[in-house]
Amino acid sequence: MFYLSSLIFYCCVSFLNSKNIDLKKVIKSGIILLMFSRTQKIQLSTIKQMELLASKIPDVVSLAQGIPSFDTPEIIKKAAIKALSRGVAGKYSLTYGLPELRETIEQKLAEDKMYYDYEKEIIATAGSIEGITATLISIIDKQKNEVVLFSPSYVSYAEAIKVAGGKPIFVNLNEQSGWGVDIEKLIKKINGQTVAIIVCNPNNPTGTIFSKEDLFKIAEIAWKKKLFIICDEVYKDFIYKTEIEIDKNSEARQGNNKLEKKEDKSDFFSLAQIPELRKIIIRFFSLSKAYAMTGWRIGFLHSDEENVSEIIKVHDSLVTCAPVISQYAAMMALDFCDKEVREFCKQYQYRRDLICGYLDEMADFLSYQKPNSSYFVFPKINSQLFEKKKKRGESFSWNFAKDLLDKAHVAVVPGVAFGPSGEDHIRLSFGRREKDINEGMKRIKEYFNHK
Amino acid sequence: MNKFFKKIVQFFLKWFAKIYIWRIKPHIIVIAGTTNRHWIKEAVAITLKEKNFQTRMNKKNFNAEIGLPLSILGINSDENNFWHWFKIIFQAAKKAFRSKPPILNEFLVLEMAIDRPKGIKYLLSIVKPKTLILTTVTMIYAENFDTLDKIALEYKRLIKSLYRHGLAILNFDDERIKSLAEFSENRVISYGFSKEADFQVKGVKKTTNGQELKIQLYPSRQIRLVKINRFGEHHIYAALVKEIIRENFRISAPDFFQQMRG
Repeated sequence: MFYLSSLIFYCCVSFLNSKNIDLKKVIKSGIILLMFSRTQKIQLSTIKQMELLASKIPDVVSLAQGIPSFDTPEIIKKAAIKALSRGVAGKYSLTYGLPELRETIEQKLAEDKMYYDYEKEIIATAGSIEGITATLISIIDKQKNEVVLFSPSYVSYAEAIKVAGGKPIFVNLNEQSGWGVDIEKLIKKINGQTVAIIVCNPNNPTGTIFSKEDLFKIAEIAWKKKLFIICDEVYKDFIYKTEIEIDKNSEARQGNNKLEKKEDKSDFFSLAQIPELRKIIIRFFSLSKAYAMTGWRIGFLHSDEENVSEIIKVHDSLVTCAPVISQYAAMMALDFCDKEVREFCKQYQYRRDLICGYLDEMADFLSYQKPNSSYFVFPKINSQLFEKKKKRGESFSWNFAKDLLDKAHVAVVPGVAFGPSGEDHIRLSFGRREKDINEGMKRIKEYFNHK
Repeated sequence: MNKFFKKIVQFFLKWFAKIYIWRIKPHIIVIAGTTNRHWIKEAVAITLKEKNFQTRMNKKNFNAEIGLPLSILGINSDENNFWHWFKIIFQAAKKAFRSKPPILNEFLVLEMAIDRPKGIKYLLSIVKPKTLILTTVTMIYAENFDTLDKIALEYKRLIKSLYRHGLAILNFDDERIKSLAEFSENRVISYGFSKEADFQVKGVKKTTNGQELKIQLYPSRQIRLVKINRFGEHHIYAALVKEIIRENFRISAPDFFQQMRG
């Protein structure tokens, strides 16, 4: 046995030497593979990779990362400063979060017809992704380790599932039906190992809102199969009115001011509004987008007491509590910044129309569906025009985004980042300044004109 | 707002609010305590509105030095620049001195919040309650207080400031609030799970849609079944207070205010 092992080892070393491969490096990578078996499967988000590449180009215009161009409203910053000077921001809060913040969250949820107990059913989290990761860690186990998510959807879900030791299972959305859910496909992907379905509504990157009917069907499946539904609703405050609604409102404005106010309130539907589903729904919200607070890392989750009492254990071991200064800021945001959120929404609607105007001019190269929410548009590249440039085994959308960055100095996110059906698309963010949108889109247009 | 400017704004708002109260003579219901003020305030306001009483309450967290007088005057505001506050003071003056009082049968349901010792003393210099509801004394906002007893001391000032023939509604599940009952020179009604409470919870059942409560009324000892579509113990307390208001403000608005004014 010893002689046989020595012979194999000798053969391997000789082979590596003949190929000029460094033996030390091979051993090192072998050790890394053994030591980081879980993280080896995880990738740094494509959006961050693109931002990293873009940061090396001096005059780059980035339409990649979903960062709002607005600064955090002044009133929120003042609340944080006040908390600092009161000397209350330097210590841990309760793991669930400050009770007064959770009380405010409960009030805010009640305004949207979602009724949850602030003491036992709400957790302040470090952004929504921390809450999602904590939730996935708490629900995934060896037997139940598959999480269904729609493609395209937010990049970090798949990685968060892997962090939790699970397996992401993609279900393609139907582009032809406005990125709607294909229920048959969804049912086929569910099996005995499935533990949850992730629903990002409004969806990032498509900016579309799932119909009430689709949501009910998802809920029905989840209920029957005893699955959790993870609802991520961070863009629910940015819902744009259609032309018909705008016309209705202007009529109302002429007739009755009270009616106008009523129409302004969005009728966004969430599965968390249905009390019968509270045991299977775990809903997330982040203040990052709605209140321009991406850097504050603050959000919250809510669900039935039974679920929250398990998730809190993971949340505690991950972060102890959400950043306390951000919790004070969040309290102010939720209480007093409705006006600012409305203003942001108005601005984004304007920017959406602006970016869509440019896309219309590039109809030969890009086709798109007008988003009615979020601040992303997800155009499809006319890949036939790039047939020669397609390489087998490589992602076309990644190569396209890379080429666009190199030649036009515009950073966008390749669609493949959002799942298999995202291929052949790019994501453009209109959360950026009007100036950047104009410059970025002009460069893209020029890039296509040179093709 | 710098400190000096804040003092000036505070001064004007305080006096305009006092003038308004003196002219309109509303029935003032104050809700104080460290937690659960919001839900109890909502429960009280809803119950009064159900009885067709003209009712106003303070919005969001308009419950301290500046927010309280703004709520009394019915002015909405958010922190902004100098000119904004200048406009607010002008609006406040208009409300306070308007030649014809708009409403004479008004209920004002006000939350009072304190974050430092003697905070209540200042708020009481603006408004005194005719009905007082006390919730809890907990560690929230306790950083400026040495002990919970010192917070309770603030609420003692409130209970002592009640108008003659006033009503104190106290949570008997909180020992510190319960101990304040002895300082009241007025009628006291207690609520809670405690067996000593007048309005007592006799049973709670959590359902899919909320909670089902059995509430023992006072003085009839009758059991009332109440269904609420909310979750959490704090909503049970709000439901109890709702029943107290329902039982104690039975007459019509004009008759009620006639009685009040003698």
